[in-house]
Amino acid sequence: MKVIILLDQIQAGLGGKEKGDTPLGGKKLAMGAADTIDKALRKMDSEIIGTFYCGTDYYQENKTEVKRKVAKMCEKMQADVVIAGPTYDYPDFSTMACELAENIQENTAIPVVALTAIEKNEALIEQYKAPLTIVKMPKKGGTGLSDSINHALELCRLKVANEETSEFVTQYCY
Amino acid sequence: MQKKLEQILMPIAIKLGNNVVLRSLRDGFLIITPLIIVTSIFLLIGNFPIPGWAEFWSNILGPDWTEWFSAVSNSVFSFTGLLACFGISYAYGKNRGLQAIHTSAIAIISFLILTPTVVTVGKKSIGAIQTMYLGPNGIFLGIFIALVSVEIYRFAIKRNWRIKMPEGVPPAVSESFDALLPSGLVVLVFFLIRIGFSLSSFETAYNFIYTLLQAPLKGAGNSLPSALLYNFIAMLLWCFGINGPTITNSVWSPIFFVLTQDNLTAFQNHVPLPHIYTQQFIDIFTTYGGGGSTLSLLIVMLTVCKSKRVKELGKLAIVPGIFGINEPIIFGLPVVLNPIIAIPFIIVPVLNTLISGLVFQLGWVPYTNGVMLPWTTPPIISGWLSTGSWTGSVLQLFELVLGILIYYPFIKMMDRQYLAEETQAAMATDIDINFDEV
Repeated sequence: MKVIILLDQIQAGLGGKEKGDTPLGGKKLAMGAADTIDKALRKMDSEIIGTFYCGTDYYQENKTEVKRKVAKMCEKMQADVVIAGPTYDYPDFSTMACELAENIQENTAIPVVALTAIEKNEALIEQYKAPLTIVKMPKKGGTGLSDSINHALELCRLKVANEETSEFVTQYCY
Repeated sequence: MQKKLEQILMPIAIKLGNNVVLRSLRDGFLIITPLIIVTSIFLLIGNFPIPGWAEFWSNILGPDWTEWFSAVSNSVFSFTGLLACFGISYAYGKNRGLQAIHTSAIAIISFLILTPTVVTVGKKSIGAIQTMYLGPNGIFLGIFIALVSVEIYRFAIKRNWRIKMPEGVPPAVSESFDALLPSGLVVLVFFLIRIGFSLSSFETAYNFIYTLLQAPLKGAGNSLPSALLYNFIAMLLWCFGINGPTITNSVWSPIFFVLTQDNLTAFQNHVPLPHIYTQQFIDIFTTYGGGGSTLSLLIVMLTVCKSKRVKELGKLAIVPGIFGINEPIIFGLPVVLNPIIAIPFIIVPVLNTLISGLVFQLGWVPYTNGVMLPWTTPPIISGWLSTGSWTGSVLQLFELVLGILIYYPFIKMMDRQYLAEETQAAMATDIDINFDEV
């Protein structure tokens, strides 16, 4: 599988909350938190072909443009699947991830898997749990991170292979 | 190995993290933490670690000036037992879904029911409360009373033992009547407890809890193995993405709290400081720049690493790192689920704990004075302020450098790998994704 991952500036290793103005960018390798996921992917003969990052404040101010560019670039790079997150319980990042995921799903043929914690995100998850598949994950500093990453990757595999996902979704997603 | 560890650790961490009693203890102490920090500043000004400080101000402000400051610090430090009872009963009540203000009020009353209110001075008895009962020595009693009183209160609420008010009565009034029978039950139980103890050889609940629980736990907690275990578990959990200290604190925080308050009281009274392994010891002399002592790691990243990713992150994270904020590193490097960095991330704080413990035991650095500094106070400064001696800063500096040496080979390993990836990617095509193309 060729995987693209969407992260905010913190998870991409580009600084803390104060760097929310980081513009949309990307690298053709696994950055920051994506590195952990890349290691797991390589065991499945898959890899991260691109890390897209965007500061959460920048996203808020340039939503339309970021949404369009992210979807287009996913298509251009011919990703098999897109992972939005892991967003933990960061509300701004979780919102960005869900909105970008929905946009990709609506405007391309590429499947998307999101990972979000329920804490601080109840309303968001309520809104997006129907259109998206959002894998359950712990809040920042919570337990079960490694399991939820495995669940997300398994869901990626199922989606790319066009296999039945409904049972998996009821068990591990919101 | 990682999988195995996770299988063993996860269930324990989840149990501890979700346990409502332990969570309430932690939350309860957090409620009173701001008060302790604020009044600590007054204590520190009154006892600043510069020779001649007190005399200097006495010449200007008069000899009573330290009393002005100790009036403020006493307002918290002489009542930590009562305040712990207040904070924990509030947190526990809230976590149990009760009206927290009521559970908090009834816990304070229960505490006072068990407190002796007669002081014998010579042959005369006067009505008064000794702060001895309400201060650091009463912390464990305070915790117990908080938990027991809220449990009794809940017992009554669950059974719906309340006086029903007719419809239309304002909520404040009906809530007050709701609390009446449960509060009555709590008071009755503590009334009986007080009688029970007065008939026993302990005479008071305070003596009972202090001798049977607080003193032994304090002894066990005030030891090098306890501090080593604390940091080892906390750091190990971080490597799995779990906020380690929130788990370990749920077990250790009452003990560290008592030890710290003991030192603080001694510091205020200008008597020798009794304990080494206080909260400050853990906060100020075992990790620098946050969990894992990542300030050392950051310095290596900034100075010797070559890959763009590591270097850039070092630049961005160094300033927050100096003030103890390491979120960008924990998630951005990342530390979480990264087996290479996990090794030094655990070794450095544990080794620091060992060295600091031995240095304090040898008396090379004076014990920590218990003054709670804001957690953002940078090392070097914090070492000096917490011990009143420059040797504290030297110890911190030494451990910071030692951390650099330990982190070096591990981060270099990551750095080399990243550098290879980056050059490879740069040779193949441009590594950056240009979003202007779409």
